[in-house]
Amino acid sequence: MAEKTTGLSRRNFMKGVGGALLGMAAGLPKPAFGRVAQAGNSRVVLIRNEEVVLGLNDYDADLIQQMLDEALVALFGLETPSDCWSQMLRPDDVVGIKTNVWRYLPTPPELEQAIRRGVLGAGVSEEKVAISDRGVQRSEVFQTSTALINTRPMRTHAWSGVGSLIKNYIMFDYPPDYHDDACASLAKLWELPVTKGKTRLNVLVMLNPQFHNIGPHHFDPSYTWPYGGLIVSTDPVAADAIGLRIIQQKRRLVFGEDRPLQPTAHHIALADSEYGLGNAAMDRIELVRLGWQDESLI
Amino acid sequence: MPESRETSLPLIRSVPALALLVLTSTGLPGCGDREPDDTRVVDLLPEQIGAWTREESPASYDRETIFGYIDGAGEVYRSYAFARVNVAVYTNPAAPDMTVELFDMGNPADAYGVFSYAREREQSGIGGGYEQRGRVLCFWQDRYYVCVASEERDADSDRATQDVARAISERLPPVSEPPDLVSMLPSDGLVPFSQRFFHLHQSLNYHYYLARENILGLTEETDAVLARYAPGSTYLLLVRYANGTEAAAAASSFRQGYLPEAGESQTVETENGAFLSYGHRDRFVIVVLDAVSEDAANDLFQATLNRLTGSSD
Repeated sequence: MAEKTTGLSRRNFMKGVGGALLGMAAGLPKPAFGRVAQAGNSRVVLIRNEEVVLGLNDYDADLIQQMLDEALVALFGLETPSDCWSQMLRPDDVVGIKTNVWRYLPTPPELEQAIRRGVLGAGVSEEKVAISDRGVQRSEVFQTSTALINTRPMRTHAWSGVGSLIKNYIMFDYPPDYHDDACASLAKLWELPVTKGKTRLNVLVMLNPQFHNIGPHHFDPSYTWPYGGLIVSTDPVAADAIGLRIIQQKRRLVFGEDRPLQPTAHHIALADSEYGLGNAAMDRIELVRLGWQDESLI
Repeated sequence: MPESRETSLPLIRSVPALALLVLTSTGLPGCGDREPDDTRVVDLLPEQIGAWTREESPASYDRETIFGYIDGAGEVYRSYAFARVNVAVYTNPAAPDMTVELFDMGNPADAYGVFSYAREREQSGIGGGYEQRGRVLCFWQDRYYVCVASEERDADSDRATQDVARAISERLPPVSEPPDLVSMLPSDGLVPFSQRFFHLHQSLNYHYYLARENILGLTEETDAVLARYAPGSTYLLLVRYANGTEAAAAASSFRQGYLPEAGESQTVETENGAFLSYGHRDRFVIVVLDAVSEDAANDLFQATLNRLTGSSD
């Protein structure tokens, strides 16, 4: 067997060499120093409402609309939600709303429709708007899109640590090509011609996040909780980084110990440190908190 | 490990079953295929289990199509000799629907392996062992890994899930023993239900992130078991290779890739203040990780070595 060098290893994280953010994602000791790929800060809006969750996959549509509107105004610093949509989109845009249809915890239809209303409100014609997940490679709108809106719930995942905004673009390509090293290279999906530079908004659904699995793939509602949140940003990495911290903190509270995700969700940190897709480090994230503040876990 | 510590051990048969299954399963039916003529599956997932009626013929997914059923988590099953999963939904007018998944994992060791993958505890009485959490009950038996999930959880669903699982268990081949490698772990200090049996580098990193590169040379043909030990949160990794040459090469690769400063030393203190001890013996590589002291690392290493010396075919 040929001898190999490690590239990134657990010991590298401990030393702070080449993977500080990765080590944090892995739940490893804080390193001595780190490297951050992104120059600017990323604004992330966390908005929560105590009454939006009526049950598992049962939400108050009016409150979701209200939360999205308030989050957009805070994110873009504009007067009205429609101003925000008009800043994001032009009337001649072709817009794909990339959702997630995982049957146990899909993107809420109420949120999909709130986003769609915003897109239409920016003057985009109905035939140039599509909502899809597994059909994006067969959708003419997605294949000819000039703009994408990305939304999905965050949940623990047996192969990538968490299902994230970054991962949500996996249906634009052949998924197994991205499975190596716990999906470490997911950020490459954002360099595909069909996605590159098109994403105008990311909405990470934290209404009923899932913080633990049963076995490799089973779902049980007892591992979700009514967090009642949406995380909104133009930076998918920053939004995922905030969501991941909330999930990890929830695990600490429930399990009574620091129990890292299995596998670690290092694809989020690598999206920053190796691919430069966005900011994963908290000192590069401007977190704006709106609404319900109890037990925000961050 | 110093050469002077090496002894010869009896050969233990290696079963490269995962590689074989990868080759032989590529021609199997596609995504969500129905298998009305597959009498074996029909036997194992019958039309009627007590008051439960199967909705239709089981759907079937193979190594290539499993992503259509469980997305990326299908990689967990593909990291073993997984051949196929058959899925059936059972209905009962008086109870929530029940979904039964029958995974053919290719061989008993890999059925145990996937059962151990995310097991938090284990109960006896169904198959080779089962775990019931929330509305899901999973067990392993012979080469099968079976999960029974109630669509909703109510006062009766836990018992109903057990009843359905037992009924399926009765149709499966007899219970077999866990992989022999698992039995080679020292028992003193072993954290119950912490043993994970697997083959691949990706699986090791799932349980314990060691390195991005495959510095231990894990392949479909290596068997590995990782377990936690007290005191502290010590891990023991035991890997069996095809032969002693491969084991020696793996130990060398590990030293160069993970402990480049260690020289000939077999026990080192790592940056987190914990201790690591490693070495190889015949076809085996032993790695003790995150021990609370140098003595603890050496003691667990030696205890493992003693178990190997006492093992036989």
